[in-house]
Amino acid sequence: MGAADQASNEIIHYLPTVFQGVTINMQTMYMSWATMIIVILIVAAATSKRDLVPSGVQNIVEMFIEWLGGLMESNMGVEGRRLLTPFIITLFLYIFVGNEMGMLPNFGIHFTSPTNDINVALGLSIPVALLVYVIGIAKQGPAYFKHFIKPFAVFLPLNILEDLVRPVTMAARLFGNILAGEILLIVLNKLTPWIIPDLWIGFSLIIGFLQAFIFTMLTIVALSPVFKALHN
Amino acid sequence: MVNINATLIAQILNFIVLLAVLAKFCYKPLLKVLDDRRNHIIKDLDSAEQTRLEAESLKAQYAKQLADAREEATAIVDKANKVGQKLHDDLVAQAQAEKEQMLKNATEHIEQEKQQALLDVRTQVVTLATQIAGKIVDQKLNGPEDQALIAKTADTVLDANK
Repeated sequence: MGAADQASNEIIHYLPTVFQGVTINMQTMYMSWATMIIVILIVAAATSKRDLVPSGVQNIVEMFIEWLGGLMESNMGVEGRRLLTPFIITLFLYIFVGNEMGMLPNFGIHFTSPTNDINVALGLSIPVALLVYVIGIAKQGPAYFKHFIKPFAVFLPLNILEDLVRPVTMAARLFGNILAGEILLIVLNKLTPWIIPDLWIGFSLIIGFLQAFIFTMLTIVALSPVFKALHN
Repeated sequence: MVNINATLIAQILNFIVLLAVLAKFCYKPLLKVLDDRRNHIIKDLDSAEQTRLEAESLKAQYAKQLADAREEATAIVDKANKVGQKLHDDLVAQAQAEKEQMLKNATEHIEQEKQQALLDVRTQVVTLATQIAGKIVDQKLNGPEDQALIAKTADTVLDANK
């Protein structure tokens, strides 16, 4: 049984397609691109007319950037904020918009969240884990690896485990929440066509925001020791 | 459902592309605006603080000037009072001195007049006595010895009458 046949039996369809022996989930890709376009449109709308005195969309996006900026500054200091603002905001907006995509009504286009695919969730959490190392080594050089034996050498296995497990847990949390939400929505739609699924959609919209915030916050927390060690 | 494949790689590329596009075209200008605004506000606050400090310094300066002026006025009034008092004292002293001088002059004058009068009286007494005595004794008593004798007599009388 091929990958495509296997997927067709599932509730969520990823449309796995094989290109020259490489399997890519095209549904996920379409939705990922759609999310990217929406994010770019939002940010472009917010930044196209840049006034010193903001108004409209610019105001909302700036408020939101200041909010994330405050979180970054309190965890990573001013330097971390300056360096990572674009990354953190893009991450948050992408996950947030992606999470809400699955809640859009399916008229003609079959909307799913790109984040309902473990590949996407890992595709976000692994770069975060790598970024921690890139910035750590860039800032502190090889001394960065000393953090594995802190506070004592005995913690070496725990520290290695932590760094390995973190991207997996972050990805699993995001992917699990969003996938479960979409599956439940489909099931509820089949059980009761009215009201109950709408309530669930409302709840899922909140979960979508919450999961985006949790993922972003965990990213900031994962990055903060790099900058804190630098300050100390 | 949990099926890791090349989508992972594609997604990482997707995210990098998204990040690159946004960072290049949106975040840089937006962050610049935020920075500009922050700087603008900081500058405004600084300038307000500067103005406040200037105002305070001016206020202190004016207060000092006012206090100086008041002090000066007090000093002037004091000085005027002192000058007036001194003038008054001088005048009083001068008047006193003049009074005393005048009194002294008057006393001296009176004394001189008195002496003169006594002298005159003595001379006339001597003359009269001489004439009377001459008439009485019917002979001239014009010799110097007679005169001296009579003067002595007259002095004795005058001294007794003094």
